[in-house]
Amino acid sequence: MTTVPAIDTERLRLRALGPQDFEPLCAFYASDRSSFVGGPMDPEGTWRALACEIGHWTLRGYGRFAVEERETGAMCGLIGPWNPHGWPEPEIGWDLMNGFEGRGYATEAGRAARDFVYNSLGWTTAISLIALGNDGSRGVAQRLGATLERQFTHHRFGEMEVWRHPAPEASS
Amino acid sequence: MNAIPVDIPVLETERLILRGHRIEDLEEEKAFQTSDRAKGIGGPNPPEYAFRAMCGYIGHWVLRGYGMWALEEKSTGRYLGRVGCYYPDLWLEQEIGWSVTAAGEGRGIAFEAARKAREYAYETLGWTTAISVIASDNERSMALAKRMGCTQDPDWEHPSYGMLTIWRHPGPEALS
Repeated sequence: MTTVPAIDTERLRLRALGPQDFEPLCAFYASDRSSFVGGPMDPEGTWRALACEIGHWTLRGYGRFAVEERETGAMCGLIGPWNPHGWPEPEIGWDLMNGFEGRGYATEAGRAARDFVYNSLGWTTAISLIALGNDGSRGVAQRLGATLERQFTHHRFGEMEVWRHPAPEASS
Repeated sequence: MNAIPVDIPVLETERLILRGHRIEDLEEEKAFQTSDRAKGIGGPNPPEYAFRAMCGYIGHWVLRGYGMWALEEKSTGRYLGRVGCYYPDLWLEQEIGWSVTAAGEGRGIAFEAARKAREYAYETLGWTTAISVIASDNERSMALAKRMGCTQDPDWEHPSYGMLTIWRHPGPEALS
């Protein structure tokens, strides 16, 4: 049994992923918006990706959360700590589902996820990996106070930027 | 707190423990996924794939309520591969799947584990039929399917994996 905390922010709730998140993820991965994070993908690939996100919690003891809009209950993001084998360091990742851009949700949930990794997991530093050209995601990193550190080449995802978050004491 | 209900049952056979995958299995899984032995499941794959595959096996349990077990050899504690009840999205039908590492080869390990998984599918999950999906050049796996009493169904063309052979298991009543 892996326990996933539920974390509330002003407008959002971070909770465990489950089968109910398959449909919004299908729409996201079917769209070009997913091209910076391994997509586009068909439903078959999306199902496997969802299973992988869930299993990450068991193997690492942490993983990404489903982010819900508290007002509507809609699943609006896939956000949180992520550290698959082959990653340069544990990161905080954020993907917003289609139609939820432009409201500051990634920043709000990303900040809550960063508090979680610093306060509950004891991380002393954190990065975010951002594909070259993903300006929306870059903006989130900047709003969270992260700074561009270097580039990293992933065998499958290509050139990515490593953004370094402020350390726990500086971000609290 | 809300929990991911990934309560994977632990089963036992004469020589094996069937349990959920753990991070300790990663090195053996990586050796398997990067080798020619993974040809039957779409490989060989890059080393990073092993971690994601193991995550996927665990997540399958949460999404379906059943899934693949890691095989642990009782006498050595060694990870020997995986077997279980497999049905990712858009799969043809519910499957009994198996693949073993080099250390698990040639000793009837897959047979022992797959029989246990099939018993679980029929007796605990209530499946009334089951198939196994096998790459068309995987002779050893087909030999195991025959040993399990399977008969061949028409091939299935998968969009990513190509043409696959389909083996139908005897039903629960034929085995009881």
